[in-house]
Amino acid sequence: MEQFEENLYTVDLSGINSAPEIIFELSSILDNEEARNKRICLKLGNVDLNQAQLLSIKSLVNCIESTLSSIDTKSVETEKVALSLGIIVSNVSAENSVEVTPEMTYKTAEEFKEALDCKKNPEENIEEQEPAIKEQIEQEQEQEQESEPEQNETIETEQPVEEQANEEILTAEPDKSSEQKEVFDELDVIFSSSPAQNTFMEMEASQSAYEEREALTDIVVPEQEYTKEDIELESFPTKYIKQTIRSGQVINYEGNVVIIGDCHPGCEITAFGDITVWGVLGGIAHAGAGGNQKARVRALKMNAIQLRIANCYSRRPDSLETIFTEKTNSFTPEEARIVNNEIVVFKIND
Amino acid sequence: MAGRVIVITSGKGGVGKTTTSANIGTALAKNGHSVVLVDTDIGLRNLDLLLGLENRIVYTLVDVVEERCKLKQALVKDKKNPNLCLLAAAQTRDKSSVSAEQLKKITEKLKKDYEFILVDCPAGIEQGFQTAISGASEAIVVTTPEMSAVRDADRIIGLLEAAEGIESYKLLINRVRPNMIKSNDMMSVEDVENILSCEKIGVIPEDTGIITSTNRGEPIVNNEKSLAGRAYINVARRINGEDVPFLDLDEPKGFMGKIKKFFSGMNKQGKEQ
Repeated sequence: MEQFEENLYTVDLSGINSAPEIIFELSSILDNEEARNKRICLKLGNVDLNQAQLLSIKSLVNCIESTLSSIDTKSVETEKVALSLGIIVSNVSAENSVEVTPEMTYKTAEEFKEALDCKKNPEENIEEQEPAIKEQIEQEQEQEQESEPEQNETIETEQPVEEQANEEILTAEPDKSSEQKEVFDELDVIFSSSPAQNTFMEMEASQSAYEEREALTDIVVPEQEYTKEDIELESFPTKYIKQTIRSGQVINYEGNVVIIGDCHPGCEITAFGDITVWGVLGGIAHAGAGGNQKARVRALKMNAIQLRIANCYSRRPDSLETIFTEKTNSFTPEEARIVNNEIVVFKIND
Repeated sequence: MAGRVIVITSGKGGVGKTTTSANIGTALAKNGHSVVLVDTDIGLRNLDLLLGLENRIVYTLVDVVEERCKLKQALVKDKKNPNLCLLAAAQTRDKSSVSAEQLKKITEKLKKDYEFILVDCPAGIEQGFQTAISGASEAIVVTTPEMSAVRDADRIIGLLEAAEGIESYKLLINRVRPNMIKSNDMMSVEDVENILSCEKIGVIPEDTGIITSTNRGEPIVNNEKSLAGRAYINVARRINGEDVPFLDLDEPKGFMGKIKKFFSGMNKQGKEQ
């Protein structure tokens, strides 16, 4: 694999059949200067490793300032444990005679690197990739037009361009998006996955996607309204705040914000993504502060002095009688979003 | 146009600076003057609430100072009166975010376009107070007929006299209860004037309507029945140079009260004769 990625260091321990031996061998191999500051790809054989053993291997690798990027194993047990620890697993070698490391599932090693960077700075990457997405979405639309009668086909067939090895992850990603889309607006429009979206989803979904990859092929996701802004929202990190936000307090976050508690009048919440308040929202909320028009503000009780989403602005109607003593027992969850360049507040009944 | 910059201050908190600012501003605007209310109580702003403009504030004084917006963008027009504007304070910052020079620059700019610039001063004598009085040439010292408020007002008057730029200051005595003065439980207006040796510009009676008006976001001068509202309107006229007699705060309530007063007046006249 060195030909693809100079930072990758493959350790082949597939011949060893017991855990202590593996750790011993690994520690001796990792003494090697070459293994420092690398991403380690570990090849294991039929050995069943438990969580503790795998963790010790992981920390061993971390000791020499490297990261355990992936594991190649034939054992089902080890695979499960690794997945639970968030380590990428590839057992392609068990199915195919050809040895394939997980890096093959990406087009190039460079792309993988990009994906890693993307995890750190999702927004930057989105900006960089914007033109590419547009192109790809256009391509995709063309593809879709061509293949309209075949929409119910599996996703693989819609992406003949992709390399075979790509399929694993690629097919996996729409699953996550589908879950989220269903939550968002339960549309039944058919979604044909595009390469651009896939590369995005990978960063967030690669682990969970693996677990559910078999169920994926039949899932269709609505394509309508699914734009790069949705992707951006999904790729945002989320801040979770469990306290009452009082007057004069400011929350500023370049991602989604979830507040468990009330937001009193006079506070200001600014987020690049969604704002969700599990309580009474009484202050100023600015969702999509980075310009994301799809961002939303949700609250159990919407009493916000001002709502701002992206570049739209709305204020609480003057007629609204605010009963200052009432600490509300009945909640009517509401959600504000942009409709035709105006902020509209919808009741959430379901 | 060279507008007048008037700072409304008190030293002690809770004596009614903000209420006074809102009501005098509204009264002046009702009389056809162009008025800007500047809230300098950064971090504890209330003036917007009293005027019912809380939901309209996008830019604040701090945004103007830090040049995130133009001065005109930050001026919030009143719902009813187009002559009245509010320059709100930021709630999420503190007093140190605006310096005296910066506020002076802003008031100098406002002077050109507006007849009256009323600066609502924060409580205390620290930086916030020094900032608030920086651009002003006149001051209204609000006090109540309580010893603590009078002492603080005395301190403030001392500071105002020492400050450059303040050419005149007047006293406004708030929350006066004629009944208590009668029964000698409260200092009389004259007592307060004597202690502070300062000319008064208005006497405002205690009025429960103030609480409702604050909660509703509607200044009490809009309620013509209220005695406090009328007193504030008189203050506004006096600021404007008119010679208005002080209200008779003993004004009785109800029809029976009026009859009583009429007869008691008859008796007094009879005795005098």
